[in-house]
Amino acid sequence: METFAESKSGIALFLPEDYDIIWSTVILIVVAIFFYKFFLPKFQAIFDERAAKIEGGIAKAEKAQADADAAKKKYEDQLNTARVDAAKIRDDARTEASHIIADARTKAEADAAQITANAQKSIESQQQQALVSLKGEVGALATALAGKILGSKLSDADVQSSMIDSMIDGIDKDPAGKAK
Amino acid sequence: MAGVAAFTGAAGAVLAAQSGPEIPSIDEFLPPEIIFAGTPFAMNRIIMVRVIMTVVMLLILGITASRAKLIPGRWQGFVEWGLDYVRDKIVYEVMGELRGKRYVPMITTIFFTIFLFNLCGIIPGMNIAATATIMMPLIFAAWTFVQYWIAACREQGLLSYLKQECTPPGVPFPVLILLVPMQLIDILIIRPASLTLRLLANMIAGHLIVALCFSATQFFLILTENKMMMAAGVVTFAFGFIMTLFEAFVAYLQAFIFATLSSVYINMSYPEVD
Amino acid sequence: MDLITLAEVTGNLSAIGYGLAAIGPGIGVGIVFGKAIEATARQPELGGRIQTLMWIGFGLIEFLALLGFISGFIFTA
Repeated sequence: METFAESKSGIALFLPEDYDIIWSTVILIVVAIFFYKFFLPKFQAIFDERAAKIEGGIAKAEKAQADADAAKKKYEDQLNTARVDAAKIRDDARTEASHIIADARTKAEADAAQITANAQKSIESQQQQALVSLKGEVGALATALAGKILGSKLSDADVQSSMIDSMIDGIDKDPAGKAK
Repeated sequence: MAGVAAFTGAAGAVLAAQSGPEIPSIDEFLPPEIIFAGTPFAMNRIIMVRVIMTVVMLLILGITASRAKLIPGRWQGFVEWGLDYVRDKIVYEVMGELRGKRYVPMITTIFFTIFLFNLCGIIPGMNIAATATIMMPLIFAAWTFVQYWIAACREQGLLSYLKQECTPPGVPFPVLILLVPMQLIDILIIRPASLTLRLLANMIAGHLIVALCFSATQFFLILTENKMMMAAGVVTFAFGFIMTLFEAFVAYLQAFIFATLSSVYINMSYPEVD
Repeated sequence: MDLITLAEVTGNLSAIGYGLAAIGPGIGVGIVFGKAIEATARQPELGGRIQTLMWIGFGLIEFLALLGFISGFIFTA
């Protein structure tokens, strides 16, 4: 069996030879320069370019989305306007209709009132006429009746007319109270 | 474990041409100089492996990078996944995106280099990790060391950093007598030393285990004349195979730990915000 | 092996030393990772911070095992 005493001392493992130092340093510097100056910048450029491409694609998609959104908004706005217009038109029509109805009603009422008033007036005038003619006829009738009863005693014209008037007043008062 | 037990049991019994399998020793990590011997640019086996691996790595990654396209192919996707992994799962996870951005190249360099150098340990023909001499881990650790002191001086000033590290709030005075030297040793020696030694020790131990298994396999299957030993050879071979796969995992794990701890140490140099 | 020596152990005592030295850090590392998992399970939103602290503790504890590893090589004489 070999022992460490026969081979080189184990501590030699941890004591660097000078050529080891030189070669390790050279290799590290070469590798570091390679990575710092060539390898990583190259790949970084590729990563950046790829990211830019992807972001460009995303931006494009976002623009398309925005366009679609704008179009949708426009369409919806138009729809809303149309809806509002329709509602307005309907309201207008309703108001107008109610106006027309109200006008017609007012006019009809006015007409009816006039007709009623006219009828009232003609009734009143006819009543007046009837009253006047009745007054005359009742006077004549009463005069004739009284003449027949009293004979010629009441031939004096003055007495005759005053008596008729007082009589008619009495009649007039009585039926008016009863008619109401 | 069964393989090792069989091997130790068998080793005493066998009286073949060789008295036992060749036990790998730490001499494997202190190989003789083979090129430019005696000059400061001498190379031994491990340094040869290291230089070759560096060239291969730079070629492969360089070609990948120069042919990189916007829409990645399979291989490029794999490399990019590695880059993303280091950036998101190591640097940003520990430091956050704001602080981490500056250190992404450094940690990426450390992770990729250590991982590929570790993998040399199981690549046939190389068979020794390029990080298996003290200087390679040490120089990575020194880089981290320098970076976290620079970060400390830049972000909050040296005194403020020492105060933050050595005297945590709420510690009573008598404890500080113990704590201050301990923390000083920690930030000055233990951090870089532990980074170095962890990587080195893992590579040495992993190589020794794999080499032991395969040298035992060779001994049992080829060198010994006792055919009863074949079964033990199969067991040691299977064990060696499993350990080789395990070494691949350790290669990744050590690279991950080194990169994560580097980020953690640099992050601790920043003033604490809660 | 001669007649007087009844039992012989070959090899290096450092191996046993390292075995002993690995016990403490082994337990410590186990506790660190176990507690970190437990803590992350309780407060998943603090996972990043817990992981950072876990690595700091792991680094300190692991250093003891590494000290054991190197002392086997250094104190051989």
